[in-house]
Amino acid sequence: MGSIDSGSQPAANGKLEIKIWRGRAKDGAFSAYQVPEQAHQTVLDVVTYVQRRIDATLAYRFACRVGMCGSCAMTVNGVPRWTCRTDVKTVARKGRLVIEPLRNLPVVKDLVTDMAPFFDKWQAAEGRLQATSDREAEVATIDPASPERKAADAGVECINCAVCYSACDVVTWNPDYLGPAALNRAWTLQNDERDGGKAERLRAVTSDGGCQNCHSHQSCTEHCPVGLSPTASIAGLKRMATRAAFGRGPR
Amino acid sequence: MTIERHETDVLILGAGGAGLFAALHALQADPDLRVTIAVKGLLGKCGCTRMVQGGYNAAVLPGDSIERHFMDTINGGRWLPNQDMAWRLCTTAPERIRELENEVGCFFDRQPDGTLHGKAFAGQTFDRTIHKGDLTGIEIVNRLMEQVLARPVVRLEEHRAIALIPAEDGSGIAGCLLIDVRRGIFRLVRTKAILLATGGGPTMYRYHTPSGDKSMDGLAMALDAGLGLRDMEMVQFHPTGLLAGEDTRMTGTVLEEGLRGAGGHLLNGAEHRFMFDYDERGERATRDIVSRAIYAEMSSGKTTPNGGVYIRMSHLGPADVAKRFKGMVKRCADCGFDLAGGLVEVVPTAHYLMGGVVCDAATRTAMPGLFVAGEDAGGAHGANRLGGNGVANSTVFGGIAGDTMAAYVKGMNRAAPELDERTVEAAMNAALAPFERPAGDLNGLRERLMTLMWDDVGVLRDAEGLGRGIAGLEALRVDLMATGLADTGRDFNLTWHDWLNLKSLIDVSEVIAHASLAHEGSRGAHFRTDHPDEGDLTTTRFTVARRSDQAIDIALEPVDFSIIRPGQSLIDDPELLPAAE
Repeated sequence: MGSIDSGSQPAANGKLEIKIWRGRAKDGAFSAYQVPEQAHQTVLDVVTYVQRRIDATLAYRFACRVGMCGSCAMTVNGVPRWTCRTDVKTVARKGRLVIEPLRNLPVVKDLVTDMAPFFDKWQAAEGRLQATSDREAEVATIDPASPERKAADAGVECINCAVCYSACDVVTWNPDYLGPAALNRAWTLQNDERDGGKAERLRAVTSDGGCQNCHSHQSCTEHCPVGLSPTASIAGLKRMATRAAFGRGPR
Repeated sequence: MTIERHETDVLILGAGGAGLFAALHALQADPDLRVTIAVKGLLGKCGCTRMVQGGYNAAVLPGDSIERHFMDTINGGRWLPNQDMAWRLCTTAPERIRELENEVGCFFDRQPDGTLHGKAFAGQTFDRTIHKGDLTGIEIVNRLMEQVLARPVVRLEEHRAIALIPAEDGSGIAGCLLIDVRRGIFRLVRTKAILLATGGGPTMYRYHTPSGDKSMDGLAMALDAGLGLRDMEMVQFHPTGLLAGEDTRMTGTVLEEGLRGAGGHLLNGAEHRFMFDYDERGERATRDIVSRAIYAEMSSGKTTPNGGVYIRMSHLGPADVAKRFKGMVKRCADCGFDLAGGLVEVVPTAHYLMGGVVCDAATRTAMPGLFVAGEDAGGAHGANRLGGNGVANSTVFGGIAGDTMAAYVKGMNRAAPELDERTVEAAMNAALAPFERPAGDLNGLRERLMTLMWDDVGVLRDAEGLGRGIAGLEALRVDLMATGLADTGRDFNLTWHDWLNLKSLIDVSEVIAHASLAHEGSRGAHFRTDHPDEGDLTTTRFTVARRSDQAIDIALEPVDFSIIRPGQSLIDDPELLPAAE
């Protein structure tokens, strides 16, 4: 399922031709709908229009509607995207949209996927701070310009939308692969001087499903809606693993 | 329909800042406690804490003080807050910031010397708002979510609570009835304690900022359970929400305060810069004044094509605007608007509900075993909430609720009470009722509600409009009850949940309208054009709404100035400081 976008082209008759994948688990098919084109309209607006005005049985997931919660990602004309922030004009081809659930995750119903594997892997990659301090202590003094902090900051604003996970071919080939988002989070923590779990985390992210699986295809980076580069984070983890193998320990 | 039963010690409803903190604290207090979180969406991915842009108010920086934060909160709330709650908010916020940084893993912005950075926020006498750029909420909720996912908490994701179930013997709470959204079945949870932390969120207004999953379910359930709701007329409007036209989800979402602060202009439909007609500070006037001015322009028909006003930034230099407000410019561009160089249509937008369930500073409600925190709780903010006090409120009181519930369960020393099965039965029947009726125009009803609340119970109110609004809400309720759903499967049936959302929203809208009518004065976020005066601060009373039979009763109760009285200040009169707990 490669990129088949080809820029903006208007609908022929003021109507968008929409195809939406409908079904439960693996059992489904496309249904077609016509939705009026509007001056301002996101892909989420199109999906909402179908559910509210055409077919009340359509299932999809969204929450914040403004690009902060990462709940509404879907596959749009073959490309994984955050639908609340995707202007129809930038992705429709001759007024046509094909909307499917994210790939690489089990489908619950219609456009809704089960995100549990994505968050399980976030945990498997030790994606949380191992505290070395507590609420009785002052907040740590940390130079915001230090290389480690800058490396952490570069990856930390992930909204866990799973677009990268869906875009990644390695996840498709190897369902045990932790995937770009979980590894990216691990990298930010390996650069967090407050964290006490670095050795354990490095073991977790260099295990069978870990960072060495990444082929640097960069689909994750290409599709990340908030402009992060999991590829760079994973490369950082690989370097860190190499250093550790030569006995220099994580840094 | 299938019903599955589940037992726990503590049930947390909601997984924003309040719910997630409650889970962490309850388990810290007692690692053997059985803790269950039920949330309408995915854990950490719905609700409004995540959407916090501004930051977190806490008196942690040199030169600031808890007394100063408290006075700002009381003045901002126009002397209406529950002072014990406001004090607890301000005294606990610094500890919560250290906890978020040192234990949970948040990293807030630093100054070049490596210490925390505080930013300025309207209505405060000190730059105390701790933040992570302008995406503070994502950092807080992502880090909390990670920590909760690593702990032995039972997660009921995509579970919507529909009724609080009292004990059969009348001793307090005994459980909660939920719908498992994915499977389309009922789940009945029997428990010793419940935290109501679903988040308010005034999404019944045509223009609103909160997350789309929110529909006041927590307050509607509290009302059903007979609890009192205070300050329900206090709906905060943000002056500049994006206006993108009909059937657009992004309409109503916030364009940040800083745009006006930086020198942005507001123009009406005739491109006249109108704010100086209302206030000598122009666009830099406070949120409430700007919201009322825009609403007045809109009411007099001087509007843009979609019925709002324009914000213009281009005179500040499009390149500079694009650099300084990168996130906002990108968000607008993604939706097809040029914020840096063009005109963008905006409207005031319903942002936050100060009102909520009557409770104390330990999060206890009038019903034993039922606790409340975050936007579902009333009292901490009074008539207006300071920017930066929202996430402080949810995380401070969420943590306190976790502590309080653990102690409550320990003190209970027996099994959870038996559930009142009649309430369970009635709630199931009510939830299934729409499947018995012919499908109708649910979206039309939703549109009617949003227009009615905007026009008659909105930014500017008077007795005539409120009376019209109340009558309109009664008619809407009748029409909703006659409107059904096609029964095409109940698993992930969003339209069923739209129906239930609408029911909750109408229930709570009625309370907002009645409280607004009963409060014959103007205070903070509540403005009555027929009673424009603030009234005497020393005799301040607040509204408490309850439902008896099918009617809403509003009582007016005097504010307990338990710490300071109008005219006094903790900064000038340190002898008034409350004793340490």
